[in-house]
Amino acid sequence: MNYDIVIIGSGITGASIARELSKYKLNIAVIDKASELPAGASRANSSMIHGGFDDKPGTMKAKFCVPGNKLWHKLKDVLDVHLDECGSYVCAFNDDEVKHLELLLEQGKTNGSPGVEIISGDKLREKEPNVSPDIVAALWSPEAGIINNFEAVNAMIESAQINGVKLFLETVATGLLLDDNGNVRGVSTTKGDFIAPVVINAGGVHAGEIASWAGDKSFKIIPTKGEYFLLDRSTKGFIHSFLFACPSKAGKGITVLQTAEGNLMSGPTATEQLDPEDRSTTPEGLAEVLKGARKLVPNFPVNMNITTFAGVRANTESGDFEIRTLKNPRGFVNAAGIKSPGFTSAPAIAEYVAGLVKEELADRVTLTPNDKFIPERHNIPRFLYLDMAERKKLAEKDPSYAQIVCRCETVTEGQVIEAIRRGARTVTAVKMMTRAGTGRCQGGFCCPRVAEILSRELGIPLEEVTRHGGESKLLVGKTKEFLLKKGAEA
Amino acid sequence: MSGKIDVLIIGAGPAGVAAGIGARREGAENVVVLERDWDLGGILQQCIHPGFGLRTFKEELTGPEYMHRFIKQAHEEGVEFRTNTMVFQIDRDTNTVWTMNKERGIEALNPSSIVLTMGCRERPLGAIRIPGGRPSGIYTAGTAQRFVNMEGYMPGKRAVILGSGDIGLIMARRMIWEGATVEGVYEVMSWPGGLRRNIAQCLDDYGIPFHLRTTVTKIHGQDRLEGVTVAEVDDKMTPIPGTERYVECDTLLLAIGLIPENELSRMAGVDIHPVTGGPVVNDLLQTTNPAIFAAGNVVIVYDLVDNVSDEGLIAGANAAKFALGKIPSTAKRIPVKGGENVRLYSPQFVTGKTDSIIFMRVTHPIEKACKVFATADGEEIYSQRLRYARPGEMNEVKIKADKVQNVNSITIDIQPV
Repeated sequence: MNYDIVIIGSGITGASIARELSKYKLNIAVIDKASELPAGASRANSSMIHGGFDDKPGTMKAKFCVPGNKLWHKLKDVLDVHLDECGSYVCAFNDDEVKHLELLLEQGKTNGSPGVEIISGDKLREKEPNVSPDIVAALWSPEAGIINNFEAVNAMIESAQINGVKLFLETVATGLLLDDNGNVRGVSTTKGDFIAPVVINAGGVHAGEIASWAGDKSFKIIPTKGEYFLLDRSTKGFIHSFLFACPSKAGKGITVLQTAEGNLMSGPTATEQLDPEDRSTTPEGLAEVLKGARKLVPNFPVNMNITTFAGVRANTESGDFEIRTLKNPRGFVNAAGIKSPGFTSAPAIAEYVAGLVKEELADRVTLTPNDKFIPERHNIPRFLYLDMAERKKLAEKDPSYAQIVCRCETVTEGQVIEAIRRGARTVTAVKMMTRAGTGRCQGGFCCPRVAEILSRELGIPLEEVTRHGGESKLLVGKTKEFLLKKGAEA
Repeated sequence: MSGKIDVLIIGAGPAGVAAGIGARREGAENVVVLERDWDLGGILQQCIHPGFGLRTFKEELTGPEYMHRFIKQAHEEGVEFRTNTMVFQIDRDTNTVWTMNKERGIEALNPSSIVLTMGCRERPLGAIRIPGGRPSGIYTAGTAQRFVNMEGYMPGKRAVILGSGDIGLIMARRMIWEGATVEGVYEVMSWPGGLRRNIAQCLDDYGIPFHLRTTVTKIHGQDRLEGVTVAEVDDKMTPIPGTERYVECDTLLLAIGLIPENELSRMAGVDIHPVTGGPVVNDLLQTTNPAIFAAGNVVIVYDLVDNVSDEGLIAGANAAKFALGKIPSTAKRIPVKGGENVRLYSPQFVTGKTDSIIFMRVTHPIEKACKVFATADGEEIYSQRLRYARPGEMNEVKIKADKVQNVNSITIDIQPV
């Protein structure tokens, strides 16, 4: 399989780069080891679109955060993605922390973050009555927002696919292929070789290992686990925005936010670990989150919790993004070490990477504008958010939109079928694309129904349907067959 | 059937079907029961084990058999059923009920009265926050039961059951019958969550180990479940260090409690009781919205289906009376209070218009002679001796209307004698 560019990883970084490069006449492949998107850190994060005051001027993070934020405010309509333009607060509990807010304010101004200001604790409590009475002041960032990260990654990669990009899931990169001159020739994978003169490393927590295939040892990824609580959507309005505690050396600390869909959420911890794939939650981590949540929001209604989860983000020793082309081998680009504010920065990083390819790798690929580029992408209709007239119209046109599959999030069969048409192959993929199973019963009701629809639409036996690919089958076989087999064995 | 719906019932499980019968018998003309599933019967469709209807029919029936008898009666009474029909919204103030169905599309119904009979759902894993991975192979017992009994598929070969609610106990036996291994049932409390008879018939008879004061503390596996860590707990239900044990399994079934399903009730604006999780009702099973009634597990989680059917009949009859203008809107509200050992109870108010039954569960088991009783303004108005009282089994307090005509409040309790 021959391509102009192969992108390893389809998290928000890889997907954004793919879409950006699809504005040119290029043959692009994106490969990802996951069975559904988003999978890695892009799935399990705070879903924050940062205001841009937190990053030290001069860093790559500062360079991309504010432009990324501005791009998302436009992309939300172009890509039909939920972005709650709610703003954020950094909360100070004492004079020292107020001093820190002043520093952040200055930093924000330098970084070009619009409208940041310091407000009193009382003013904050007027807007957010449930925050701690001990907060004395807060830094308000009006341009910050909270995005539906499941939708955003799928929207980005779908938009790229609309413009010709090929996506290969369940495809694990195993090594870099070099030509006789020692330059990039492609990527070897578990699904065969992908031949291309340019390879972009957007491998998230695995980006360090992938870079080492190119002999690049200039940075190291430190997998850092973040654990979260997610609460029932009936907590909507308990708070309305994104609350940070004052940052410390350990990071931005535990935050409390209302997701774009209205769930109260809190996290993350920051625990360094060796295993990039260990996304298990821990008693210690969850206790730390709860403590942090209660500091900001004393009556954090943890009894409304519907799930806990963990993500592993790609921290680096430098603390900054690692984005550059390599001199040797030629054709290799790192878009690595993308952690907070990585989601925010992704569209700006994508523009920068496209620029690098254009300017620094012109000898390997030519970037001719694709005049047929279609910027818009439409989401699967969201029944929950439609008004009654729209719902009626949809149900008349296609009766499968008059059949509820997920009762918690009011997801219809029509939406599930459309997700499958767009590439969903697992129960989790349907969840990422439609939110079926994200509600208070966590799939207890809809999982068997989604599995049946997957089986029917894909023409595969029910026992072949998986939760999230690989060995994650839902069922082990038919009842009587199982019993007979056991009888025969005995 | 056409014209205005007199009584609209949401959910065709045991409570809803009985409510339909009750409403028709009381004289309501157009009685419609909505059901989101393709068939009637609610959860009893998948409860193919015997043990239902001992009180109502004086014989042991399976869930589908029990429901069949009620459904047959309902058809004979002229109740209209609409299956594959989901209510997705109720507008407060107007009591407009929005439904969807593949053939009928989206419709707005404006009945004279409504009966909420949506039943309950199982508590999910997230409610108890077990650390570890998120592999496949973790199901609520009811979901697993649907897979095995309705779809004919096995969720796994080697199961651990967390919680000792009745569905978990029933599924432990069911998994054995289908050739799987059950490593044990683990219950964090010091007493079982389900009925004693189910402990005997589903666990003891099959040699399935039952561990009280023990819980799952970690989930192992990324793709498919590989095992769980279990540990004993202290009086505060905190795991005791050093008691951890790894149990290999590919399936974890959760039977950790049931929650009345009240999204629609909240939309309709009726008051929800913080302890039962169901609508606040009076002895007519009328909610705080006078046109809306509620019965069965949507109000309080029952132990026996016979009680659910009885309550359905009462709610349906009263909803019909309301639709026919026979219930005055100025009913008395005598509050019912729970004593020391009462965890939850329903109804929370009585009107004094009819004799009524208050259903309750105790907080702590009493394994010796005790009495369940009620006092009205301090005076005993009901007392019944019991051999024991257990949280897994409901108790009843019978209130005679003539005893509460001039009282301010009623208190119920169970105490040793």
